[in-house]
Amino acid sequence: MRYLIQQVFRSPRFLFGFGILMAMLLMVIIYPLIVTYPPLEIISQGTFLPPGIYVSVYDSIDPANRYILHLDDATTKRIASKLGDDDRLAMQEWLLAVGVPENEIDLQDTVKLLEQWENHFDPTVKITGMTNAQRNYYIRLNASLDGILSTEGAIIAESNSQTGSLEQKDIVEQSYYVNVNQVPNVRVLPLGTDNFGRDVLTELVKATAVSLQIGLVAGIIATMIGLILGLLAGYVGEVVDDGIMFLTNLFTVIPTIVLLILISYSIGQEKRGAVTIAVVIGVTSWVWTARAVRAQVISLRNRDHVNLSKLSGHSIFRIILRDILPYIASYVVMALILQISTAILAEAGLSILGLGPRTTEVPTLGLMMNWAMIYQAQILGKWWAIFPVIVVIALVSFSMNLMNTGLDQVFNPTIRD
Amino acid sequence: MKGYTRYFGGKLVWFLITLVCAFILNFILPRLMPGDPVAGIVSRLAQGLSDATGVQAIYEQYTELFGTNKPLLEQFFIYLRNVANGDFGFSISQFPRTVADVIRASILWTVCLQFPAIIVGWMIGNTLGALAAYIRKGFDRVLMPVSIFLSNVPAFGMAIILLVIFGVNLDWFPTSGGYGFDMIPNASWDFVWSVFIHYQMPFWSIVLISIGGQAIGMRSMSIYELNADYVKYARFLGIKDRKIIGYVFRNAMLPQVTGLALALGTMVGGALFAEIIFSYPGLGTTIYRAVLGGDYPLISATALIITLMVLIATFAIEILYGFIDPRIKAAQAD
Amino acid sequence: MKRLTAILSILLALSILLGACEQATPTETEEVAVATEAPPPTEVPEVEPTEAPLSAADIAAALPRNETMYFNGMQWGPVACWNPYNANCNNAMAIVEGDSANFVMFEAPYMYNMLDGQQVPLLADGPWSWNDAQTEITYRIKDAAMWSDGTPVTAEDAAYTWATHVKYQTNAGGANGPYIDTVEAVDEKTVVVKAKLNDEGKPVNPLIVKAFLSSTYIIQKAWTQTLEARVGDDIAAFNADTAEDVVYSGPYHKFFTDDTKVVLIRDDNYWGQDASMWGKLPVPKYIAHAIFKDNAAGSVAFAKGEVDVSQQFNSNIQLLWLNYCLPISTYLPDAPYGIGASLPTAFYNLQSHGLDNVAIRKAIAIAVDYPTIIANAMTNQSATFDQVPRSLMNPTPGEQLLYDRDAVADLQWAGNDIEGAKALLDEAGVVDTDGDGWREYEGQKLSYIATCPNGWSDWQAAIEVVAAAGAEIGIDITTNFPEWSVYQTVVTKSDTPLAEGYDIFMMWSAGAGPTMPWGRIRNLLSSEYVGMPVNWNGNWGQYSNPEVDALITAIPGESDPNVLKGIYTDLVRIYLTEVPSFSLMYRPDLFHAVNETVWTGFPHADDGTDPPVPPMVCHRGYSVACLYNVTLVNP
Repeated sequence: MRYLIQQVFRSPRFLFGFGILMAMLLMVIIYPLIVTYPPLEIISQGTFLPPGIYVSVYDSIDPANRYILHLDDATTKRIASKLGDDDRLAMQEWLLAVGVPENEIDLQDTVKLLEQWENHFDPTVKITGMTNAQRNYYIRLNASLDGILSTEGAIIAESNSQTGSLEQKDIVEQSYYVNVNQVPNVRVLPLGTDNFGRDVLTELVKATAVSLQIGLVAGIIATMIGLILGLLAGYVGEVVDDGIMFLTNLFTVIPTIVLLILISYSIGQEKRGAVTIAVVIGVTSWVWTARAVRAQVISLRNRDHVNLSKLSGHSIFRIILRDILPYIASYVVMALILQISTAILAEAGLSILGLGPRTTEVPTLGLMMNWAMIYQAQILGKWWAIFPVIVVIALVSFSMNLMNTGLDQVFNPTIRD
Repeated sequence: MKGYTRYFGGKLVWFLITLVCAFILNFILPRLMPGDPVAGIVSRLAQGLSDATGVQAIYEQYTELFGTNKPLLEQFFIYLRNVANGDFGFSISQFPRTVADVIRASILWTVCLQFPAIIVGWMIGNTLGALAAYIRKGFDRVLMPVSIFLSNVPAFGMAIILLVIFGVNLDWFPTSGGYGFDMIPNASWDFVWSVFIHYQMPFWSIVLISIGGQAIGMRSMSIYELNADYVKYARFLGIKDRKIIGYVFRNAMLPQVTGLALALGTMVGGALFAEIIFSYPGLGTTIYRAVLGGDYPLISATALIITLMVLIATFAIEILYGFIDPRIKAAQAD
Repeated sequence: MKRLTAILSILLALSILLGACEQATPTETEEVAVATEAPPPTEVPEVEPTEAPLSAADIAAALPRNETMYFNGMQWGPVACWNPYNANCNNAMAIVEGDSANFVMFEAPYMYNMLDGQQVPLLADGPWSWNDAQTEITYRIKDAAMWSDGTPVTAEDAAYTWATHVKYQTNAGGANGPYIDTVEAVDEKTVVVKAKLNDEGKPVNPLIVKAFLSSTYIIQKAWTQTLEARVGDDIAAFNADTAEDVVYSGPYHKFFTDDTKVVLIRDDNYWGQDASMWGKLPVPKYIAHAIFKDNAAGSVAFAKGEVDVSQQFNSNIQLLWLNYCLPISTYLPDAPYGIGASLPTAFYNLQSHGLDNVAIRKAIAIAVDYPTIIANAMTNQSATFDQVPRSLMNPTPGEQLLYDRDAVADLQWAGNDIEGAKALLDEAGVVDTDGDGWREYEGQKLSYIATCPNGWSDWQAAIEVVAAAGAEIGIDITTNFPEWSVYQTVVTKSDTPLAEGYDIFMMWSAGAGPTMPWGRIRNLLSSEYVGMPVNWNGNWGQYSNPEVDALITAIPGESDPNVLKGIYTDLVRIYLTEVPSFSLMYRPDLFHAVNETVWTGFPHADDGTDPPVPPMVCHRGYSVACLYNVTLVNP
């Protein structure tokens, strides 16, 4: 036994898969200890905030944390962020359309360009061939250009409680800086927020944990059913075999996905917890394990040591337990791993169809994908809400399958390299 | 030969029993779903009616039409008689379309999408698997993890990735529909081309995933066979390498052929995610919508098609095996 | 070894080849489809020889992009039938009756314009008129109005249409039956709609009689009789008829449908090109709607310019022009981007434990974080309650002026008022007595289930925020999303108390129409719906208040604007005080976003049209005028 385990851990494939899985498990266990925010808390007003460091603006203007830096490129950067090259070209287009000669327009001379713009832009002018979308664009551009060349600071005012008028309290100059480390309220969102305004990374970690649990429960159920039926069919044979094979055939004939959809739908969302989904998946996916176990048992049942046991009058139960199970144990472990990874995929698939576990209680990988897709994250370029989830799903089942092929090589000497 | 007859006869009997049971299950399971779909239609049709008797009258007409006012057993026999006459009745969720009409409109799309995808995935996968087993070394080291990884990307994940990269960002392929959004089906090369390019993304999203699994299976089987005693024995006898390899891969193929047959059998429901994400017409979404609409005539009919296809596929395989697998041959000769 | 490689490479090549040559299969099947689809153009007999019947060659061609306008967001499955009497044909491009009816294939006497509230004549000639007693509406049908078979539209058609609605108990017949007695033809062209009268000899509801004129199609008598001959008196057979042979009066008709799209083609003999109507034909020769399987697929197509007018919830639509610089625009350039017309509302089940108590109802309502609902669930495509304080009115200026905003200002709430809610509950004696963190009412823990249909994403996201508010004020609220097919049967059954699990549930309110805001208020508050076996109208929480009922009954017959304003203000006051339900957001009747890659000239705010063309996806109500105004971006 020890030898076997040593062998297993010498298989590079197994080790690699095992490593990935362990890394994810560690993440799932350690991350919540460090980041203790509730995973389903809605923190952002607005959907899909991009990944980054969020610094409280209110805290940043506190004079106590104020530094003055004189940086040469500050103005250029500020202007460039509002007035890109495309915008300059668009301004040129407008100016040309209202009759400014081309040779008078210098796209690089910001001051002159803005001056021309101010003189010639009129939102009410209808330029032939211009669409409403373009018109809206120019109006937005015009608004964003307002005060772009200003060198004044921003005034912070306070409303007087007696008169209600605004009184200047402070001026934030353009050269003021704040050290992020000194701002009391900073939230790092490594993967931004999702459509509900939840922190994606925190949610993803929790979801991975839940999906792994679903996989484990479903995998164990499926393997147990498959193992028991397979053993019975294979060892007892005759009528029992025929009956069980008939049952497995029936389950093969009615496709799993249709069955899954039917059952999940019938249970109804109100009763679909993570565990229920796991059970449903487990109950519908035992067929292949049963078939495979049966095949293995049939090849074992006429071995000499089994016959010897029979002759010694041991009970069926004992023969199965002592003389057959140990020989197929490795196979069952492999089947279990496969079942777990397919169950994780099945949960994700069901959730994509809106038939997964109910939303409020726990996140699962499938639910996260489902919601990201409903709010069209993939099309709007909000990659952080959807691709990490796909990658996690793929990695989990990838690591398990790698482990499986590793095990396969160890347990099956015939296919060893 | 008598052995064969008994073998096939036995198979045929089981085939028929399974068919009957599956038919019954296909009938009963959808009808066990909660909710009254007929009430659903009636509440849509009777939106304006304020008096209870009027609603009740309409409800009764529809229960009559769908036969839901009769006991389940009687419904079953009516259903059986109608199916025998090729009449699957009205669809509930798409009323007044008939089930036959709904299925006719979508089944060809599914078959045309899935059949080539499964065959191509199977062929590429097995070729790669066999190569991996034979060449080993670097090819195997790279190929194996890559195929395992590919086969573990969830189907919808693969579809989304393809959609975003090739459909949205690169804009190489159209993202939705079975043919050009600006086309009407017709017999022209433009249309063929349109169908062809619309076909690519759903097709590859299925193929890429299935390659991995097939390659892994084929590789294992091939290595297993390559290390088998008969190979050593044949080498010992001095039989040419080429000939041995021919045997080896033929034997390794056998289980893969079973897989292929089953995949072909289950294909009808299999492309659900590709269909949803690429808005490709097909039976997968028809079944899915039917379930959501509690449309049991439609669910029963589609499930029946799947059942028949799987049964025929497995039956064909078992017959085929009886002829080609030497082990079964030997067993029948006893 | 070499041979093996050769075999394998052949296998590989074969597999690739197979992938390629399989493509031929679908086309063969499609050829068959063409053969079956070819007849429709010839089915419709063209009277004038000016337009040659479409030959097979014409059909074979693709739809020219610059003659076709594409839509999305209305049709989610294949078309089931073409019967204008049947409201369930799943044929959104051709058959939608109601306040914002679809006028591309079938037409009503008038078109409703949700922007100015007017009814614009379509089949009718000039405005309609009441008789002095307000019991009859008279209108004349335009002389130019023709059916697609070349026969004129007559008053007899209008009368027979109504009689058929009543006979076959259609939705239109059921909805208008209690208010409209008969529709009669006075002469060839003059129609009189007679209202049902109450005991006092006054019309039961003149508003609905008026709305009928723009919500219900006129259908040809001759064709209706053909249909009746086919189906007899059987209502089920009547609804099951696919009516492929229907005769229509609108500018478009069926060209092609399958599982992926619906295409309508312009009828170049359309009567509306007469100077008495539009004076020209609508610009696009084809209008088409691709059938997408979900919103995301529709959005991609919209962004790619394969859809011109989008009526679906495109999440964060502003990113399409801000980040992707696409030529996409909405009716309003900034949030909320569209005209809110309906009020998605959370109803309280007034029979649930504790929800019969006003304090608890109001506490939950004021604790809800509406800004988050609007920002996250609606991605800002709704006016906020700061911009438009809550009332029974939709946010259009017309309706907002109907009540006295200042008079109810002290009853308003902007949401997120946790402290206020707690104070309210404490004051009402609803406190946590056993220290478990949840409040009790009459000794029982307050625990509710908030429900909306599964897959209705913005509602689901909104109801999650409602549930979150509960936890803040010590009321346990969990969410539940049953499938729509189950949900609808529970919620619309108003003759019994609601089932367990429906303590707080979402439904819609009426949008814009000639009867609004009266119709919406009635839907939200009137007790007449309590006890109905199938109630698609409203008041699903089964609220009952005689005072409210009296006010609602008084409105339709009232014409003095000052009195009306008083009644509306009273109703808003009662609504905000009693809180039988509360709206979570404002939502447009139809989303309306356009991609100006091919077409431009769509309605947008201040576009200078008079009367203003409403943003109702270019074919609902008076928005159909948009089809005559659009031009090509690159002619």
